[in-house]
Parts: sequence; structure tokens; C-alpha cells
Amino acid sequence: MTSDAEMIPDVKIAETSNAGTAMIRFENVTKYYGAYKALDDVTAEVGRGEVVVVCGPSGSGKSTLIRTVNRLEEIASGTLTFDGESVHGPLKAAALNRLRSRIGFVFQSFNLFPHLSALDNVILSPIKVNGAKREVAKARAMALLDRVGLSAKAGAYPAQLSGGQQQRVAIARALAMEPPAMLFDEPTSALDPEMVGEVLAVMRSLAADGMTMMCVTHEMGFAREVADRIWFMDAGRILETAPPDAFFSNPQHPRAKKFLSDLRH
Amino acid sequence: MIGDILTILRDNWLLLLVGQYPNGPLGGFAATLLLSALSIALAFPLSVLIALARLSRNPLLLWPSTVLVYVARGVPLLMLILWVYFMVPLLIGAAVPGFVTMLVTLVLYEGAFLSEVVRGGIVALGRGQMEAARALGQSYPQALLYIILPQALYNVIPSLISQFVSTIKETTLGYVINVPELTFAANQINNQLLTKPFQVFFLLAIIYYAVCWTLTFLAVRLERRIARRRAGPAAAPAPLTVRQLTAEP
Ligand SMILES: Nc1ncnc2c1ncn2[C@@H]1O[C@H](COP(=O)(O)OP(=O)(O)OP(=O)(O)O)[C@@H](O)[C@H]1O
Ligand SMILES: [Mg+2]
Repeated sequence: MTSDAEMIPDVKIAETSNAGTAMIRFENVTKYYGAYKALDDVTAEVGRGEVVVVCGPSGSGKSTLIRTVNRLEEIASGTLTFDGESVHGPLKAAALNRLRSRIGFVFQSFNLFPHLSALDNVILSPIKVNGAKREVAKARAMALLDRVGLSAKAGAYPAQLSGGQQQRVAIARALAMEPPAMLFDEPTSALDPEMVGEVLAVMRSLAADGMTMMCVTHEMGFAREVADRIWFMDAGRILETAPPDAFFSNPQHPRAKKFLSDLRH
Repeated sequence: MIGDILTILRDNWLLLLVGQYPNGPLGGFAATLLLSALSIALAFPLSVLIALARLSRNPLLLWPSTVLVYVARGVPLLMLILWVYFMVPLLIGAAVPGFVTMLVTLVLYEGAFLSEVVRGGIVALGRGQMEAARALGQSYPQALLYIILPQALYNVIPSLISQFVSTIKETTLGYVINVPELTFAANQINNQLLTKPFQVFFLLAIIYYAVCWTLTFLAVRLERRIARRRAGPAAAPAPLTVRQLTAEP
């Protein structure tokens, strides 16, 4: 699987207009669930082509943080920009849809459309949202399925695919919109251990192609190897951001230390 | 007994089939079928709209739809029919044909009941499907049309069909406001014969049974065809089948 994914030619990463700025930028972002503060004054940025791995204990706000980027969650205050565009401003519905179409999102639970074949999962949004011609969308979808090692499964329905295969189709589906950045929320946590590798291999090859990525994951091997920076979160705050070497060998914050030592035991 | 039934059928088949038509309004079996088909054809799309309104956060959609559903749930259909029958002509100052009264009442009543089935189907999908569609840039209507409704409606086919079958059976209530449908025709025949009520109403039961069974049968075929097209157990959580839910005892 690994070799499959890596032999295939590069994905096209969309050119963007606001090249000077960060790809994703959080500025004093705060979010509540009722009275509970899930994000507490988060300020951070993901640069262009950068791979950020977000880690931290369960309930620390990692999913909440990543879901605010494409506004699956609303924020209470602060600003969040994607490719220079404010995500949580007073956007018209169409503008928000357009913005979302440029942010690839991969869910822990895959969320493939079970009534559509793998191929149809991938081509639906390019056709309906971007107005792509069916033949063009299909050719591109086949190339993407090939890239994730699943061209033979184009006609299969999600229920006929293993978890790892479903997640790879989900990645192809997100890539079909040619997003300049991809977000992953624990993409391998729902997988049997023997399938984790095939999904990480696809993510690794995306990173190698220069894709901007923000990944919530507990796969510390992947983080160490692929990430440019680690963000460590606890209680809704980013407590530490550091390159992986520094983070893993010499964490600064006491809670990061504790988190890493808990992981090792 | 069988002989009696066949004789009744031979002597009255035209009345049972079309009522007084062409000398009077269309009635009998044809009127029952027409009323059922129109009720279902109008109630079903209405039910999807009601379900969406009930899931909406907009109070202008949420409130009226919720009231409609609660009224339909809490009031006997027969009472609703009498209400519409007596009140609507007073309100609009014009006579309304019984067929139309019956159709409108059935559409609203069944629309409300069906909407709960549809809403259940949508809610049961969970929010992951909607989120995945929206995350790809689909608008809310697109997500509904391409992702949510195809799955939700497919998953509730058995309940939809049993509600459709109820609708057919409820057209018999048109009898009380003199809609000349099948039950009305059977009663006319009974009034002429006087001595054979069992045979007449047994025949009536057989006809209703045949219609309802046919609908159920077609639904089973449709469900199988979709399941086959989806090649495998895909989206069909299929321990319940149409037949199990709607077969008459
Ligand atoms: N919809 C919600 N309503 C109320 N509270 C929520 C909701 N979603 C999350 N929370 C709470 O917000 C906090 C952060 O949740 P979040 O899912 O972002 O954590 P996480 O870091 O992703 O955890 P995990 O590693 O378990 O996925 C948790 O305490 C959680 O209970
Ligand atoms: Mg999470």
C-alpha cells in the first residue's frame, strides 16, 4: 500500500492569491459550549506548506479547534482567517460554501456517503459544487483513487471497503476539490491497527508534496517524522508549539511533559 | 357463499368499479384509487417539507409545522374530516365537494404522520453525513438533495409504505361525508340487497386487501432493487422489511 501511494504522481496543490500570509491563522479565538470554555484565547498560525500536528489529552479541545477552521463549529470571539479570508465574519452562505470547498476535511469516522460508490463519493462535489464536467471530474477522481491505491475499488460501495480503504477514499474525496490545505481530525483513531499504516502513508506523501496540513493525531511516530511543528493543547489552550525534535526530547510545559510521559507508559 | 359473492360482483361490478359514472360523479373502486393515489402523491412531498421545517431553527417554519403535527397526532381523523367538511364552506362561503374535502384532509393528516417518519430517518443518519457534505462546500439544499434525503428516505421505506397503506384504508372514512368511493358503493349495494351484508362486506374487504397487498408487494420489489443496485448491505440496515411491517394479519 505504501509503495502504491508513493509511486503515483503529485497531487496538484491549488495556487492561492494571498501568498504573503499564513494559510490558517487563529487570533484570540475563544469558544464556549454553553458555559464551558472549549477554546481559550487561541492564537497560532499554520504557514503555507507547513504540517502541524495538534496533540493533547482527551477533551483538551483539539477537535473543536480544527472544526472551527471550516466553521463546523462557531466561535465566540477572536478572528480566524483561512488563506487571508475571514472564516467567521458575516459571510453570505454562498461565500462560506466556497470557502469550505477549499478546505479539505477528513473525519475520524470517514463519513463516506454510503449510498454512493467510491468514485461517486469523489466526483459528486466537484460536479455539483464546482460545476466540473462529469468526464473531467471522473478522470481526476480515478487519478486520485489511484494515488491512494484504490483505483481497483472505484465501483465499490463504502460498506464493501475496509476502514483503511474508506479513509483513503475520504482523503481522495477531499483532494478532489483541490484544496490548498487539508485538515485531519484523528484520521486513524477508528481504524484497526493493521490499517493505520496505509492511511498514514497517504498523509505522508501529501506532506511530501507540500500540502499544508493540520492534523489532530495520537500517532506520535508520524508527528515526529512528518510534522514541522507540534501544537500541544490542554484545557482549550495551546500551551506549547515546537518543532517535533524539541517537543519530544525536551518539552517545556509541565503538562506537555506529563502528557508525553503518560504516552510512553 | 362464494356463489353469492360472485353474483353480487356480476350484478354490480360497474357500480363497484366507477360508481354512478358517467351519469354521476366518479365513484367506487376508481374513486378510492384516485383518492388514495392523489393523497399519497401530495402528502409525501408535503411530509418532506414538514420534516425539514420541523428540523429548522427558523421559528416561522418550526412553529406551524410542529402545531400541524401535534394536531394530527392528537385528533381523530374522523373528527378532522367533519371539521373540514362543516367549517371550510362556512369560512370560504362556498360549497366544497366531498372528494376535495377528503383529499385535503387526508393530505394534511397523512403529511403530518409521514413527516415524523421522514424526520426520524433524517435524524437517524446522525450529523456526520451533513457535516461531510457541507465540509466539501455543498449548500444545505445540495446536501439534503444528494446526501441526506436519498439515505433517509431509503432507510424508512418500510414505514413509509405502511403509512401509504393506512392512507388507502383511511379513504373509507369518506363514506361519512358521502364521498362516493368504494365503501359507499358497497353500502349502496347492501341497502338494495338487505339480506346479504356479510357477503357484500366480505367482498369489500377482499378488494381493499388486494390493493394494499399490491402496494406492499411493489414496495418490496423496489426496496430489493435499490438494495441490489447498492450491491451489498451498503446503507440498508435491513433486518426490518416492508413485508414484516405491513403484512396484514
Ligand atoms: N457539542 C458539544 N457540546 C458540549 N460540549 C462539548 C461538545 N463538543 C465537545 N465538548 C466538550 O469540549 C471539550 C473539548 O472537546 P473536543 O472534542 O474538542 O476534545 P478533543 O481534544 O478533540 O478530545 P478527544 O481526544 O477525546 O477527541 C470537551 O470537554 C468536550 O466534552
Ligand atoms: Mg477529538
